[in-house]
Amino acid sequence: MEITITPGKIDVLAVSGTIDALTAAEITASFNKHIHDGHPDVVADFSNVEFMSSAGLRAILASVKEARAAGGDFRLACPQPAIDKLLKMAGFHNIVKIFPTVQDALASFGD
Amino acid sequence: MPKTKKPRVALVIGSGSVKCAAALGLWKSLDRAGIPIDMLVGCSGGSLYASTMSLGFTLDECIQYTARLWNKDVTLKRNWNGILGAVFPSLFNFGDTFGMVSDKLMLGRLNQVYGEKTFADTKIPLTIMATDFYSGEMVTLAEGKLVDAIRASIAIPFVWSAHKVGGRTLIDGSASNPMPVDVAIKEGAEVILAMGFQSPLPTQVKSISRYAFHINGIMTNSLYHSNFAFHNAAHHAEIIPIFPEFDRPIRLFDTDQIPYVLDQGEKATEAQIPYIRKLLNI
Repeated sequence: MEITITPGKIDVLAVSGTIDALTAAEITASFNKHIHDGHPDVVADFSNVEFMSSAGLRAILASVKEARAAGGDFRLACPQPAIDKLLKMAGFHNIVKIFPTVQDALASFGD
Repeated sequence: MPKTKKPRVALVIGSGSVKCAAALGLWKSLDRAGIPIDMLVGCSGGSLYASTMSLGFTLDECIQYTARLWNKDVTLKRNWNGILGAVFPSLFNFGDTFGMVSDKLMLGRLNQVYGEKTFADTKIPLTIMATDFYSGEMVTLAEGKLVDAIRASIAIPFVWSAHKVGGRTLIDGSASNPMPVDVAIKEGAEVILAMGFQSPLPTQVKSISRYAFHINGIMTNSLYHSNFAFHNAAHHAEIIPIFPEFDRPIRLFDTDQIPYVLDQGEKATEAQIPYIRKLLNI
């Protein structure tokens, strides 16, 4: 698992690999550190996330909560079909803003 | 996740009629990878596969039993007393045993496979899910005759009548818990392989039975989603979703699709094997 940060008006955190019990803590810590370093608005690019388990879902929830508590928002972009299916199954489309592209997610902060 | 002992692994097979045969593909894949299962939980169609696995039948036997048990024949004979009772309730004594399809053939086939076997005969601890018709509560069955538990678990509303077990009137487990991950959590499983399916919704609704299935499917799917969301978010067991992809519609009794369904189950599981092995340190 790797996280690559692309700085901008809104930073994009691109995750690659798997988000599971073995990697979720590291991801949550990285996201939360970024949020508390003065970047409460975050776009997480999930285009290279290959697999996610319940630990991954919990990691997303924790980051969403953290970002919103800091006055921002944590938005997801371009999950692969299998990941998107899991997000839909777990009802995440109802509570997290999820976009088909990173550009859409970035643009949504201008709304 | 404790590193000092091997985590307990549960396989949960949710409702899904013929699609549940994907669990055989999952089993094939786990078996090849040497990944043991410590407990099994089955609901509705999933109870058939969880039961055969827990009894220690071979994969080939399970495939044969599936073909023998779960085909269109079991739906052919109408329960005219039930159907007429729906129209003339007083005349035909309508009651909680309503079902449009006769269960005689299905029950006979269940008896051929499971006979007098009980939960005590299982080699892997097994729990089967049903729903109390009157209270609506989820019912976990882990003792008594397997035939009774399975028959209750697959009592699809409107299709097959409720089944009495231990003085309770039970219907399909999917009416209360279509993918019972929580049962595995409660039993102490730390790694849960969860295979579940949404109910297929008919594209045309041209009869009262289709209408009933449609409404039932909508409600079951909503329950499936909300339970899945809750179980994933609220607990710390590692739930590994195994959702086979199907490129064609698989209806309730498309048993001719079982080889394809099994392959898709195997394929979906294969993708998770490296991670499961890492988690279990094997």
